This record gives sequence, C-alpha cells and structure tokens, in this order.
Amino acid sequence: MSEISSAAATAHVPAAAAPEIPKLPPRQWAKENLFSNPFSTALTIITTVILLTISRALLSFIFNPIRQWDSTATNMQLFFTRAYPDEQYVRVWFCLAVILILTSVSMAVWQAGSSIPVARLGRKFLAGGALLGILTLLAPFSTSGTIKWLLAAACVAVIGESTRRFASSGGTERTVNSLTVLAITLAGLAASLWVVPYGHYTYVANREPRVLAEEGTVALTTKLPWTIMLLIAVSAFLLGRWIRDRLPTNPTRVTLLILWLLSPPVLIYVVLRDPSFDMGHVFSTDLPIFVSYAIGGALLLSWLTRPSTGEAGRIVAVIILIAGFCTFLTPMRMVVRLDMLTLAVFALAAPTFAGGPRNRRRYVLGWLGVLSVMSWLITSINTPSTVTVPGGFFIGGFSITLMVAVFTLVLSFPLGIALALARTSTMPIFRLLATWFIEFVRGVPLITILIFFSIMVPLFLPRGMHLGEVAAVVIGYVLFSAAYLAENVRGGLQSVTRGQHEAAEAVGMTTAQKTLFIVLPQGLRVAIPPLVGHCIGVFKETSLLAIIGVFDILYIGRIVIPGQTEFMGSTKENLLFVSVIYWIFAYQMSKASQRLEQRTGLGER
Amino acid sequence: MTAATTQERVSQRVPLWRDVIVLKWVTQLFLLLVVLGAMWFLASQAGDNLRARNINTEFDFLERPVDIQISEGIDTHPDTGGRALWAAMVNTLRLSISGILFASVLGVIVGLARLSDNWIVRRIATGWVEVLRNIPLLVQMVLIYSALTALPRVGLDTGPINGWLHISNKGISMPRIFLADGFYQWAIVVLLGVMAAYFVRRHRQAIQDKTGVHTSPTLWALGTVAFFGFVGLFIHPAFSWLGPVFDGVADLLDSLPNAVPQLLFVLIAVGGATAWIRRFISDRRSALGHLTISDDDWFRIAFTAVASLAVVLLIFRWSGLSAWTLNSGRDLFEVLADKFNVDGAARPFDAMRPDIIQKGKFPNYGKNGLTMSLGFASVFFAVVFYTSAFIGENVRGGILAVPVGQTEAAKAVGLSRGQIIRHVVLPQAFRVILPPTGNQYLNLTKNTSLAVAVGMSDMVQVGTTVFNQTGMTLPVVAIWMLFYLSCSLTISVIVNWFNVRMRLVER
Repeated sequence: MSEISSAAATAHVPAAAAPEIPKLPPRQWAKENLFSNPFSTALTIITTVILLTISRALLSFIFNPIRQWDSTATNMQLFFTRAYPDEQYVRVWFCLAVILILTSVSMAVWQAGSSIPVARLGRKFLAGGALLGILTLLAPFSTSGTIKWLLAAACVAVIGESTRRFASSGGTERTVNSLTVLAITLAGLAASLWVVPYGHYTYVANREPRVLAEEGTVALTTKLPWTIMLLIAVSAFLLGRWIRDRLPTNPTRVTLLILWLLSPPVLIYVVLRDPSFDMGHVFSTDLPIFVSYAIGGALLLSWLTRPSTGEAGRIVAVIILIAGFCTFLTPMRMVVRLDMLTLAVFALAAPTFAGGPRNRRRYVLGWLGVLSVMSWLITSINTPSTVTVPGGFFIGGFSITLMVAVFTLVLSFPLGIALALARTSTMPIFRLLATWFIEFVRGVPLITILIFFSIMVPLFLPRGMHLGEVAAVVIGYVLFSAAYLAENVRGGLQSVTRGQHEAAEAVGMTTAQKTLFIVLPQGLRVAIPPLVGHCIGVFKETSLLAIIGVFDILYIGRIVIPGQTEFMGSTKENLLFVSVIYWIFAYQMSKASQRLEQRTGLGER
Repeated sequence: MTAATTQERVSQRVPLWRDVIVLKWVTQLFLLLVVLGAMWFLASQAGDNLRARNINTEFDFLERPVDIQISEGIDTHPDTGGRALWAAMVNTLRLSISGILFASVLGVIVGLARLSDNWIVRRIATGWVEVLRNIPLLVQMVLIYSALTALPRVGLDTGPINGWLHISNKGISMPRIFLADGFYQWAIVVLLGVMAAYFVRRHRQAIQDKTGVHTSPTLWALGTVAFFGFVGLFIHPAFSWLGPVFDGVADLLDSLPNAVPQLLFVLIAVGGATAWIRRFISDRRSALGHLTISDDDWFRIAFTAVASLAVVLLIFRWSGLSAWTLNSGRDLFEVLADKFNVDGAARPFDAMRPDIIQKGKFPNYGKNGLTMSLGFASVFFAVVFYTSAFIGENVRGGILAVPVGQTEAAKAVGLSRGQIIRHVVLPQAFRVILPPTGNQYLNLTKNTSLAVAVGMSDMVQVGTTVFNQTGMTLPVVAIWMLFYLSCSLTISVIVNWFNVRMRLVER
C-alpha cells in the first residue's frame, strides 16, 4: 500500500540547473560512463548480463503461446466500466468527452507543453529503434517474426536518424511543441485502430452462456468513438487557445476550476446514473425546500454581510448553527438538515466577507450556487436510477477507482485544511482534538479503517437510514486522507513567516480574514509538491477497494476474469495489465508534478 | 495616558459576549461537546443495533475456542481467539522486522546505485525506483503471489539443496535457529553485559579524550557484550532464582484489593494535573516573581482541573479498568515466572534443519524448518522492494544534501577516502536520511496489513476471521488499533532517539 505520505515524504532534491553537457563521441562516452575503472567495468558486465537475462525471461513470459492475452483484450469493457449496460454506453463516451474537453481547454489556457528540440526527438527515436532491435533478438520469435520486428525496429531507427540529420542540417536549432508530438502520437494510434486488428475476440452480446466469436475486433467496436474523441480533444484545444487569446485570464481560469470541481459528481450521479426524476415529488417537496432556503438564505446573508450589522449578526449565526445541530435530534428530511448546516457555515463566515454591494452580491451568489448544486445532487442521488446494473454499485473497474480517488481528494481537502488549522491554532482544545485525530489515523493501517467503516457504518446509523457500501468506504478514505493531508498543509502553514501574520494583524484583519486571505494562500502554495504526492498516494491506495470486495480494476483483474470459464487461470496476464494501467497514470502524475515544480520554482525556496 | 485612565480601562471590562477569550473558550467547549455528543450518539446507536442482532461486545471471545487455521508461525491451530491473535501478531512482527532490515539494505544499495558513475547501473536504479514507486503495493503483492504459485510442487527429496533449502509452491523452507528454554536466563546475563559495556565505553572514551590515543571505545563495548553473551551460554542457570521471585510478585498482585490501582490512577491523574498547573503558573511568573495570568490562562487552568476531576470520576465509575490492570499485571508476571522456572540444563538456543513429511497423499513441509509460506514470501518481497524504492530516494537525497565543500575540506586536511565517507559524509547524510526513512519504516509496518489479500495470517486476516466467527467486530478492531498504534509508537520512539543523538550540536 502506498502510504500517502510515502510519496510526499520522499526527499526532495532541487535539481540544480544542469549546465549543457558537451557531447562526447560514443567511444569516449562509453569509456567514461561504463568502463572508467576495473570495478566499473565489472559492474557493467555483470549488470548487462543480468539485465539481458531478465528481459529475456520477461519476453518469453509475454510471448509464451500459453498466455491468454485475449482474456485481457476481450474484457476491456469490464476493466474500465464493469457491467455498465451496452445500450447506455453512449453515456460513458459522453463523460469521457467532457473530461477530454476540460483537459484540452485547461491545457490551452494554462499554456501546458514545452518546446522540444527536434534533434533530441530524433535521438530518442534512434535509441528506441535500437532497444526494439535488441528486444526482438531476445524474444522467442520464429525467424519470420524476428525479421518482421527487426524491420520495424530499423524503420524506427531510420526515421529517428533522418529526423536528427534534418534537424541539425540548418544552422538554427529546430524545436517542436510537446503537445504537437502528443497529438501526432495519438492521431497515429487512432489511425492504427482503423488498420491494425488489435484483438480477435469479442463477446457476442446478450447470449447465455456467453461465447467467444471471431467476428469483429476490439478495435472495431471502438475505432469510431476513439477517433471522435481525438477530434473533440483537438478542437477543444483550439477553442481553448481562442479563449486564452480573447477572454480575460483570471475569470476563465476560475470558471474552469469550478467546472472541474463540478464535473465528477455531475458526470457520475447525473450522466452515468441517469436518475429518473419523479416530477410530482420534485415540485411538491424538493423545489419548495430549495426555494425557501434560497430566498431566506439570500435575504439573511445580504443582511449579515452588511458591515453595519455587527454583533446581532453573530448571534443570529450562532442560533442558526445550534438550530442546525438540533435538527439531528428530530425526525426530518436529510436535505433540510444539510441545508441548515450549510447556511449556518455561510452565516458564520459572513462578517469575514462583509463589504460593499459588490462583495455582498458575490457572497449571496456563492450561497445560491452552492445551495442549488447541493439540492440538485441530493435530489438526484435520492431518485432511483434508470441504468440497471446487476449486483453492487452501478459503475466499477477503473471508473470506480477514479471516482473514489476524486471524491476522496475533493472531500478530504477542506477537512484536511481545517485539521491543519486546528492543529496549529492557539486554542488548546482544538489543537488537542486535531492532534489526537491525526496521530491516531496515521498510526493505523488504511485497511483496518476501511474494514471498520464497511462493517460498522451500517451499525452506527439510526434505524431506517441506509448508506451504500461504496459511500461508507469513501468516508473511511476521506478521514484517512484528511489526516495525511493535514500534515502536508501544516508544513506549508508553518512556512508562512511571522511577519506576514503581524502585518495582517497590523492592517486590522480579523483572525478569519488573516487565515483566509494571507496565511492559507501562501501556505498552500508551498505545500503544492507534497499535495501532488498525496494525490498520487490516494490514487494508488484505491487498489485497497479490492480487499473490501468492491469491483475495482484490481478485483476484476484478479478474481473476476480468471474466474470466467473461457479464461480459467489468466491471473498473471490480467494483473500485469492492471499494474501497467496504474503505472501509466501514477507515472504521468509524478512527471506532471515535477514539471509543475520546475515551472513555478516551488521547492527551491 | 495617565495611571487613572488605565485603571478605568481595566475596570471597565468588555461585556461577556464580546470578550474574545470567553468566545474562544465557549466555541472550544461547544466543539468538544459536539464531538463527545456525536461519539456518544454513534456508540449508543451501535450498541442498540448490536443488541438488536444479539451481539455482545465483551472481550471474553479471547478465551473461547475458535476454528482457525493459521498459515504459519508459532501456532498453526490455535485453541482460542486470543491465542490466534497472538500467533498472528508474531507473524506481523516477523514480517515487519525482517522487512525493515532487508528494505534498509536494499534501499541503501538502490540509493548508492542512483549516484553511481556507471551509466547502466544508474539507469537500472532509476528504472527500479520509477517502476516500483508508481505501482500500488497491493497490485505488486498479488502479482508476486501469482508468479510464486508457478513454482514446482513440493517433493520428498527436491529443493535446491535437499535438507537445507527447499523452494516449492508451498513456500520456502530453511534451517531454523530458535530460542530454547534457557533463553530468558541467558538474556539477563546479556543485559548485565550491556550495562557493563556502557561503563567500559565511558572509560575508554575518557582515556581517548585525555591522551588523544585512539582507543576504539565502541569496539570495546561490543566486545564486552559478546564476552558476556559467550560466558552466559555456560553460566545462565545461575539466574533461575528469578522464577520464584516473579511468582511472588504475581501472588502479591493477586492479593491486592481493587482500591490500590484505583488510588494509583487517581494519584497519577490528580498529580499530573497539579504538576502541570504548577509548572504553568511558574512559567507565567516573571524573573522577579511577578505573576500575570490572563483570562485565557485562567481558562486553561480551569479546564485542566476539571478534566482531571472527570478522569477521577471515570476511574471510580468504571471499576473494571483497575481490575483488568491487576489481572493483566498478574498474568504478565506469571508468564515471566514460567519462562524462568526451567531446569538448569536448558540451552538458550537450538537449531533444526527443514524436513518434508508425507502424512496423506501429498508431501508437505514439517515443523522443523523455518518455513516461509507463499503468502509470507509475496508480502515480504513486495514490501521490501516497494519500500526500498522510497528509502533509495531518501538515501540519494541525503547524500546529495552534503555540500561538496565538506568532502573537499576533508580531502584538504588529508583524510583518506574511507575516513571521508565514515566521518564526514555519512554522519551528515544520515541526519537528512533518517527522519523520512523512519516514516518509511512506519509505512512498511502498516503495509504488512495488506497480507490479508494473499491469505497470509497476519493481524488483519486472523482478526477478520475471528470476528466473522464470533461477531466481535468492535473488540477486534480495538485490538488492531492498539497493536498498530503501539508499533508506530515504538518505531517513532526509536527513530526519534537516533534523531536526537545525530542532531547537529550547535555551539
């Protein structure tokens, strides 16, 4: 299990700006880097032999004819969405398209990507070709197979060499944007879907027992959607470029962030789950509750944020808070209680955001936005779904991995910050409670917390109230992640110098204003590298869902597919595939965090 | 501002509902009440629900028989739930301790390899770190497990070295050195040796400091311990008298009334609170003895006093606590007495070679060897590999953090290469490496709990089986938490001790 802090606690070594290393001719390079002294020579020989042996073993494992790689290829859909019904599959593609659009627009707006020298690209291709050639020679292919693969390797190498020559021919250094390279690569992959048959098997839909048939390939069923996805991504990127050039920067970025925050719950609970709203009920119950809260809350908050309101406002806020807690003692609809607590939080924070008409309007709009999103989500979660999925949660596989990771991070973020603030606070009871909670949670393994929550949450709830298994487990994840996140944030908070605190106090800010507008922004900025590490950690920890018996990608790869009658005992192949999937995502995230650190100069001061 | 107006301002206090200090404390107490109330609410809900399902939450399941088979360890067919958890705990500890040892060694190798001059070694180490760090440990574990199941089947005379080392799909079996009956007596001798070594080391150090002659004090101390250990092999029965002594202590604890530990706890609670308040007040006193106590401080003092009174109340209300303390104290000393009440001829250590027996249709490992089941092996390799990647990064960062000037200065004063590494680079790098590596040790210990996924009988797996059979979820979870918290605490105490010792002494 990747402990969350383990990714974060890795010693961070600021990469010193490397001076341009003069390129050596190959022989001298080999002499200096491989055979500089007898010990180094011995090391080179031994490690090369070991490396070749291991590569050969791995290749003969992969290309062994008894390997059932078609078990992986056939079950792609199972791996990513479990038993999501085929008739409704367009919903999955829609969600993917939304995420792709958001990603591309964000990449354009935040100006992701860097320029790569074409010559370096060529060298990489050349090295890749050479590697492919060596691997081909090691692999247990037949003669014709070896020749075929060697030809492919030679092609790659030739392309690389000619690119390199072409790049170094002119006097000036030619560069290419990394996003262009990415787009070309993806276009190549999408084009290959139309030409190369990737798998030979697919299930014949709706027949029991399920049988394998030769007709169609995996690529056949998905080549059109993937091509459309690529086109959508590229056009979204162009749109993002247009937005960046035409529209003011900050509002665009804030809008994008809000969209990013909103998209997971909306996509999962509204698009994928497709609640069938009972309009009569909505109009008779949900809408009146929403409207009364919206109007009452807006009036109240616009009064509370008036700077002249003063003491009376605080007293009203406290009364609302206590009333909100009291609602838990009486039977009542959950949404009423939650709205009440949210209103209390907004009322308590109101003096902090008090000010002129513009500030007040913004605050009231914020309340309306939060309230409407909350009401909508609660209503749609409470309505039965039209998507019928046999057994368990309605999504599974890799999508539940992503879902749990995203929900955990989003929910644990405010909790973690609150815990960090409490732990650094001067108020002893707050500090004590926060310290105990954090140290307790950090002292026990995640799996015990998950088992505890998956078993005990149903017992803790009052009679008649139900919480799904996945929701119970997510609560466990959130508490666990919040404790680790709090420690990361605390490090950031402590890096804010005393002078900042004193200056904020000197200009007459209240404690809340000082914390929100001075300390947190600076502290969180410093905490970005460990926080990204934390995100990777949470992503990896989602694999523990398999132990609880949730159908995540690991459970499917380890238990479900090897249990299918057609693919008995195909555990190793599928586990290898699962680890490759996890690796690709985690590795990309860690690379991205390194780029982020370099770009913002974080971790160097 | 004149004295009179100051006086006026002090006497003209702010009203209670605007006083920041009062507000702060009211908020805190309110939150405390909310937390306690929520916990009480949840606990009573759980109690109701459990009663409704006829599940009681007593700890007596520890003494009731269970039907559990444990994959390996000190007891594979435990009679009671308590014994099963005990055997599982030993398995977890074995896994953690051996994992920490091997992960440290491998981690140092990986870290050094990442800094090697040799291109290919550097590349391999980088690949190792990047691959292992970015795949979830659980996935690696089940992958290793499924790879190990492909090993050949166990046979009567197979194995790479028959009679010494067997590797098969039932696990790995090798010779075992184990603690025999005389071990505890021998341990007393070694303990005396450690005390003696402390004085020897101080003495040698004093000579070195006085004369400047190199006296190798650490080597001498180690030698002393080794000498005592060797002599102890022959004279350890001399300590068998400790058995009756422990028996006596156990009897004494048994005869004590319940009020004694209660009184002791009350004394600790009240005494602790009093000491804290006194220290707090003396901290607030200026050098001239002038005491200034703010309202905030008054609240702190009052809160401490009230909290200690609440603890006293709890101790008297909940008499089971002190009875439990007495009972477990007596049990502890009875166990100790058992360990020492052996006849004089018992040896401290013994060794056995692995064996393969055939009871039914298929041959299997016997009880003689040290057998590592497939589950154990896969957890072990997975945590060692995974943690080694993180420790390797720590080691690399620590060594890079030593400024080049240090090495150059050491060269300039004429130290040899070995001396530079031992006396200049390592001590400074160690200071940077240790804290994050201690964190990794904690993680490794907690990560062994994933063994439940490969069917190795560790705390979590056996605990799950126990509560599935007896329905005692809450007590088992409490035992888990207690066990893992004490493991974490032990490791962090040890790491902190090293940390303090290695800290830069600034003059």
